[in-house]
Amino acid sequence: MAGAGGGNSDVQWCFSQVKGAIDDDVAEADIISTVEFNHSGELLATGDKGGRVVIFQQEPESKNQPQCRGEYNVYSTFQSHEPEFDYLKSLEIEEKINKIRWLPQKNAAQFLLSTNDKTIKLWKISERDKRPEGYNLKEEDGRYRDLNTVTTLRVPVFRPMDLMVEASPRRVFANAHTYHINSISVNSDCETYLSADDLRINLWNLEINDRSFNIVDIKPTNMEELTEVITAAEFHPNQCNTFVYSSSKGTIRLCDMRASALCDQHAKQFEEPEDPNNRSFFSEIISSISDVKFSHSGRYMMTRDYLSVKIWDLNMESRPVETYQVHEYLRSKLCSLYENDCIFDKFECCWNGNDSVVMTGSYNNFFRMFDRGYRQDVTLEASRENSKPRSVLKPRKVSTGGKRKKDEISVDSLDFNKKILHTAWHPLDNIIAVATTNNLYIFQEKLN
Amino acid sequence: MLGRGVKRKWSCLEELEAETLPAAAEKERNGEEGGGDDDGFLVGPSKSDMNHLQQRQLVLGLCMEKLQSYQAGMELSLRRSVLLINTLRQIQEDMQSEGAGTSETLLNHTDSCLLREDMQVTCPGCAEEDGDSLSPPLSPEFPSQEANSLPDQQKSLPAAAINTFSDAVSAMGYLSDLTLDDIFDDIDTSMYETSELPSAWSAGSLWPISVSLWTDEDVKMRPPSHPSAGTLQSCLMDLNELDHIMEILVKS
Repeated sequence: MAGAGGGNSDVQWCFSQVKGAIDDDVAEADIISTVEFNHSGELLATGDKGGRVVIFQQEPESKNQPQCRGEYNVYSTFQSHEPEFDYLKSLEIEEKINKIRWLPQKNAAQFLLSTNDKTIKLWKISERDKRPEGYNLKEEDGRYRDLNTVTTLRVPVFRPMDLMVEASPRRVFANAHTYHINSISVNSDCETYLSADDLRINLWNLEINDRSFNIVDIKPTNMEELTEVITAAEFHPNQCNTFVYSSSKGTIRLCDMRASALCDQHAKQFEEPEDPNNRSFFSEIISSISDVKFSHSGRYMMTRDYLSVKIWDLNMESRPVETYQVHEYLRSKLCSLYENDCIFDKFECCWNGNDSVVMTGSYNNFFRMFDRGYRQDVTLEASRENSKPRSVLKPRKVSTGGKRKKDEISVDSLDFNKKILHTAWHPLDNIIAVATTNNLYIFQEKLN
Repeated sequence: MLGRGVKRKWSCLEELEAETLPAAAEKERNGEEGGGDDDGFLVGPSKSDMNHLQQRQLVLGLCMEKLQSYQAGMELSLRRSVLLINTLRQIQEDMQSEGAGTSETLLNHTDSCLLREDMQVTCPGCAEEDGDSLSPPLSPEFPSQEANSLPDQQKSLPAAAINTFSDAVSAMGYLSDLTLDDIFDDIDTSMYETSELPSAWSAGSLWPISVSLWTDEDVKMRPPSHPSAGTLQSCLMDLNELDHIMEILVKS
C-alpha cells in the first residue's frame, strides 16, 4: 500500500505540526512521558508527568489538499492519574503516566489503558453529539418541575448538540504492584493484558479489577541477592499465549503461558555475548534494555539498549540478526554520561507499519531511522527552527573525527538535556510522532 | 556537554580521553580507553593502566555519591540502584583481581576510605602511582598497618557505617533486611547494631553495600499471617488505624 514504509532513499520527511508550549521554560508537569497511536492511526495519545492524557484526532483528508494528510487536533484532554501518598512508606506516588496502550476498537467508543507507577486505569472515550430534550419532570436547565404543573406527558426526543468527547474511567486496577510499573501490554485476545514492574509481571482480565494473576516473579528470597530487574514486557501480536520481558542485564526472555501458571522458566532466552573489547565499568549499564517491541508480523522483536537497536529473530536466541548503532560516538563519553546520569536514560523504539524501518530517539533532539531493507540510516532533528509547514527535514550528522565538516555538529556541542525518549509511528502511513521534552512533533512523508 | 550544570571533575581524565580518541578512530574500534586490554592500541601500557585506575576511582566515587543521594519523599528507582550496586561489585572484583592485598585488608581499607566524611576515595593503585595530582589520604604502607589494627577496625566499622549510611538509608525509607520485630523498635541507629550487619562485613566478600539498600517491600504490604509476636500484631493494628485516620483526614 502506498507509503507504508518503502525505502529510506525514497522517503523525505516534512514537518507537519508541533504541539505544546513554545517557550524554553519547561513546566515539569508538561514533560511528555508516553506517546501512542491507536490501531487505526486516527487517534494519537500522549501522557505527561502531570498525570494528564491528551488525545489528538486526525482530520479527514481534505480534497483541497490531497498532498497533505489530515492534521491532528486536540480531541480530548483528561486527568488520568493524581499524585498519591503512601502513608506506610512515607513516599509520594508520582502521577506521571508511564505508558498508554489502546485497545482495538469494538464499538463506537475508544478504550485505552493508562498507568502510573502503581495503578492502571481503563478509560472509555466516547462521543456525544445528541442530547435528550423534553423531559416531563425536569426543566431544560435541570431544575425539577413542580409536579402540580405537569398536566401532560410527552416522550423526550434526541436533538443534535455540539460534539462533546467524554473520558470516563471504567476500571481501576490497583494494589497489585509493589514495585514501579514500567510496561502494560494488551493481549491479542483483547480480553487480558499484562502489567510489569521491576520484579513481577501480572496478568489481568480487562473486566475484572480486583484480581490478577502473577505470571513472572524474579524477586529473590533474599533481597541482597538482587542483581537484575525487569525493564519492559510485551505480548506477542498474534500468539495470545506468548510474551517477552527484558532485563537490566540485557537479556530477553520469551515465555509461554501454556507451559505453566508461573512463567519463571522461560521458553527462550535471547542474549548476545559481550564483546570483550568493549568491556568497561559501564558495560552492564549500557546493556540494560530500555524497550522491547515485537514487529507487526510477530516474527521479529526489537530491543533498545543505551547505544544500539537490535533486531532479533524469535527463532534464534544466540544473537540478534541486525544491530544498528544509534550514537556510537557516545561510547568514549560514557564516564561523563554516567556522571550526569544520562547513561540511565530509557529510550524507546518503534517499527513502521510494514516492519521495514525502525526508529528511535537520541540526544540534541535528534532521532534516528534505520531502513532494514536498504541498509540505510538517517538522523533527523525535531526543532522549532525546522518548523515551517511542509519544510523537508535535512539529515543531520555528528562529527566524530578531528575535522568537523560544515553543517556537522561535534559531540561536545550536543545538548544532553534535549533528549527524545518517546517516538511513535502511524500503523499504516508514514506519519511519525516525536516527543521532545515538552513538545510533540508530527512529521509526515513528503507526498508529491 | 555535561548538561545539568554538573561541574567537570577529573578534567585530567577528559584530556586523557581526548588524547586517546584519534588512536581509537584509527583502529576502527570503539574508543574505550578505559579498558586495560588495549595493549599496543593506546599510547603506552602504563598510560592505559593509569586511565583505567583513574577511571575506576572516579566511577567508584560517583557510585557512592549516587547511592547516597536521594530525593526526600520520592522512592528511588530500583533499576538504577541495582545497576549502581552491580557497578560497585564490578569495581571491587576488578580491585581484587589486581591482587591488591588480602580480601580482608581490602575490605577494611576501602571501608575506612569510603566512610570518611570528606569522601576522599582512593584505591590502592591510585594512592601509590599518582601521588601528585591526587591527594593521598593513605600512604602506601597503610595495608600493612591495617593488618595490625584489624580488630579495632572491625569494632569501629559499624559505627562509621552508620554515620555514612543510616541518614541516607532511613531517609530513603529503605531498611536493611531485618526481621519485622526490628522494624518496629525505636527507629534509631541502634537498629544497625544487630547481628545482621557486622557478620556481613566480617565475611569480607562484599562491602557495606551488602546491606541491602532496598526494602523487602512485600514485607510491609503483607498482612500478618499469624501473630508471631504480640507487639508486632498490635503495632500493625495501630498502623492500620493510623492509615484509616489518615484517609479520613485527607478526604475531609
